[in-house]
Amino acid sequence: MITILMLIIQVILVLLIAPFVTGLIRWFKARLQGRQGASPLLMYFALLTTLKKEHVISASRSWMFRFVPFMVLGVAVFLALSLPLVFSDGGIAHVDLFVLAGVLALSSVFLVFGGLDAATAFGGMGASREMTLAALIEPAVLTTFAAFATVAGSASVQSLFGQGMTALTHPALLLSFSALILITLAENARYPVDNPATHLELTMVHEAMVLEYSGPYLAMLEYASSIKLTVFLLVLGNLVWIKPEMYLDAPTIGLGVLGVLVSVCVGSFVLALLESSMAKMRFFRMQEYMSIAFFLALSGLILILVV
Amino acid sequence: MLWLSENILFASLLFTVLSGVIALGGRALVFHKLSQILLVVSGILGLSASFKIFLAPERGLQILVEFAEFSPVFQLDLFGAIFFSLISFVSILCAIYARPYVRSYQETYHVPSLNALVAAFVLGMQIVILSHSTLAFMTGWEVMSIASFFLVLSDRSQSAIRAALLYLVMTHLGAAALLAAFLLLSQGSLFIDFSTLASMAWIAPSWLLWTCFGLFFFGFGSKAGIAPFHVWLPEAHPAAPSHISAFMSGVMLKVAIYGFLRVLLFILPPIGTGASLVVLGVGLLTALYGVLYAVVDRDFKRTLAFSSIENIGLIFAMIGMAFFAADRGLDGLYQTAIVAAVFFTIAHALFKTGLFLVSGVVVRAVHTRNIEMMGGLAKRLPGLSISFCVLALAAASLPPFGPFFGEWIFFQGLLQSFSTTSPLVSAVLIFTFALLALVGGLAIFAMVKLFALSMLAEPRGKEVHELPASGELLSIGVCAVAVLVLGIYAPTVLTLIGGVSLTASPVELAVGSATIQPSLILWLLIGCVFLVWVGRRLVSRVEHEREYHGWDCGQPINASMEYTATAFSAPIRFFFRLILRTKKQIETRPVAATNPWIVSHTSTLNLRSIWMDYGYIPAGRFLLGTAQHVKRIQSGNVRFYLLLIFVTLILTLWIAL
Repeated sequence: MITILMLIIQVILVLLIAPFVTGLIRWFKARLQGRQGASPLLMYFALLTTLKKEHVISASRSWMFRFVPFMVLGVAVFLALSLPLVFSDGGIAHVDLFVLAGVLALSSVFLVFGGLDAATAFGGMGASREMTLAALIEPAVLTTFAAFATVAGSASVQSLFGQGMTALTHPALLLSFSALILITLAENARYPVDNPATHLELTMVHEAMVLEYSGPYLAMLEYASSIKLTVFLLVLGNLVWIKPEMYLDAPTIGLGVLGVLVSVCVGSFVLALLESSMAKMRFFRMQEYMSIAFFLALSGLILILVV
Repeated sequence: MLWLSENILFASLLFTVLSGVIALGGRALVFHKLSQILLVVSGILGLSASFKIFLAPERGLQILVEFAEFSPVFQLDLFGAIFFSLISFVSILCAIYARPYVRSYQETYHVPSLNALVAAFVLGMQIVILSHSTLAFMTGWEVMSIASFFLVLSDRSQSAIRAALLYLVMTHLGAAALLAAFLLLSQGSLFIDFSTLASMAWIAPSWLLWTCFGLFFFGFGSKAGIAPFHVWLPEAHPAAPSHISAFMSGVMLKVAIYGFLRVLLFILPPIGTGASLVVLGVGLLTALYGVLYAVVDRDFKRTLAFSSIENIGLIFAMIGMAFFAADRGLDGLYQTAIVAAVFFTIAHALFKTGLFLVSGVVVRAVHTRNIEMMGGLAKRLPGLSISFCVLALAAASLPPFGPFFGEWIFFQGLLQSFSTTSPLVSAVLIFTFALLALVGGLAIFAMVKLFALSMLAEPRGKEVHELPASGELLSIGVCAVAVLVLGIYAPTVLTLIGGVSLTASPVELAVGSATIQPSLILWLLIGCVFLVWVGRRLVSRVEHEREYHGWDCGQPINASMEYTATAFSAPIRFFFRLILRTKKQIETRPVAATNPWIVSHTSTLNLRSIWMDYGYIPAGRFLLGTAQHVKRIQSGNVRFYLLLIFVTLILTLWIAL
């Protein structure tokens, strides 16, 4: 009973703060680049406005076009539900790292379907790039998670990203943690893999795929990427400081919520700092980025077994 | 009760034969229809006989025991029943599919002989699974090989004949190796049964075992499509009619795996570290090579063929890992990997059969196998596209479908054995883990390319010519449902096939300390999507929508601006250019002599096969060159030829004595 209650708290909290995180990153970025910046709460208004707008549907679409937003947002909700984000023993015990990797790939696959179904050159280009990134990041994702699982002694996401394990539990985990940061950037279409702020065909990956979506569907896709980013920041946060174990009283819940807020604020700031201080990589150099992520993860795993 | 089951098993064989005999009745469609119905009956009987074994695995079924001198020639044990049920299941689906499918190709194929050959093919595979003696095994193997050879060239086109001849050569090299290995092991006796063979193998000298292992590996590996003996596979699968491709990829490759496992598990003594590392290494190489070509190929059925090569590589890697673990004393990993290999084999039979059946419908609808000319089929054929989507996601090993849980078992097994005492073992495990993760990622790419570019967006080619019939859709739909059911009921399936140790409860899989509940994952996903659907209903009430063409910088848009399969896989081609060695040529020709800027460009992109270019073609050239030299002794002088014959005779006698 308490587990279900805590799960509901977690899902509601993550779904509530997700647009704020996206807005916060934009605000931090603007500040760091010397601009005034829009309010971090702008994203809520943007989503609500988009929800009320009319659909303009590409004449070329099939049933897939309409199914994609539901699937992608569904997977985002799945992530918000199953990972231990607010309490260290939250989430769903049955979800393990392979399910997590598979579900992340599932969301990429459906985004790609949506991009291709619009039948424009932009959609196809974004889809091709996204699929390449998703395919090449897969070994890094599995190897990184495997390193955490080896230290935790279990493959369940609860023991990977909760239950008192931080990146300092084992010295080699620092390498895996760095790999996880690279994976976070790649999975969430951030610098240096993708530029989330442009609509220029040379640079965009994620935005190109959702170009043909409008109205509520666009809102759903934008919301899904906000949730995914929030979840990743919270997971990274989990590996830096320890969250409280779940217990049904006000201080514990307050502590959990506070931890979440601190995580996303610090995470957003670091992400904005990273994005303001580096350039986007050329797409055809992406294999270097992926190799770095993979070899960081691999050396982390090997070090754990050697030390 | 046992008596009844044995009769059912025998009846299954009998109905297969009958199906072939009826098919030869004539060109009238009634014979075609009857033949398929008989094949369905044979399949249903075969399935029920297999299920008898699944439910009571202690006693095998024996048939034809009255032929005492060959006894026990034909028997079905639990291990055989797994594969026998696959053959039966796929032949039911293919027969239902073939009834309308072959009818629409009446002019191309000679229908009576096609159906008779299909029956012979199925019978050959059934005999291979049932036989427990060298002679029967090799007979079944040859019936299967020769029938499938004729099936590959059933459309009698030049390219099909070339593909079939290549297949014939490869398959007979393999069969020769198998025969040699069996004869070496049994010291020349062809009538020996497998249990006697096993006892002889246990006392055989190690050099003999090594030779036999090599021959078996080549024989079964070349049939299964292991690199570098896979070259026939991407030629033969596309050339054959689609339900035959489904048979070949869905079951025939599995029969090869069955043979390999039968020999390794029941006949040969445990193979050492070296041999298991060879199997593992070749398996990984095959998987990587197959998946890369599956990503870049532009032919619908060739993509599927390369994907089969990848999956076979994965299964061989699992087998190699299992024996490596056994040799290193990791008993848990040994069991896990063997069960994972068998489970993944079952999953592969289901989804690959489905995908090849889809390919038949798609190719007939657009009159080409080229993915560049497809697209837009999801609008015209929504039912087909939903089944295809499920099958493609399953083939990409994504949750919550069957293949995902096969890989899950294997990966969990690897993960939990990482911290073994020996660093060398850990290194092998980690290397396998990382490489298979890369292969898994690329497999998703290949399947997304196949589905999305053929089904979604605007049609790039001509109109849809022929819509699928209900029988075809039924078979494909059953495959799609089967991969999902295999996923959700994975624990039940494992219990039936003897992998009870990998289940924690009737609904949970367990590897070591890790457990997973497949149905929970499915319901969570469905629940989340449903939640989103409800949320969307509650929050936004926008019902009106406007249809408009896609945005392409303000210019009118048409299907030629869409991404093609070549463009879609371009990044992978670029990143793996050192392995793929694609040849890209752009030719520039001036159009007007006066203006150097007005030119026409022609671009050609050749996908090369490195094995063909650096292996088979030089080897063939070398052989032909040597033959040229040998020709010198053929002077046309009869006396010289007589001398040669005499010398040969002397030499033969000398060697023989």
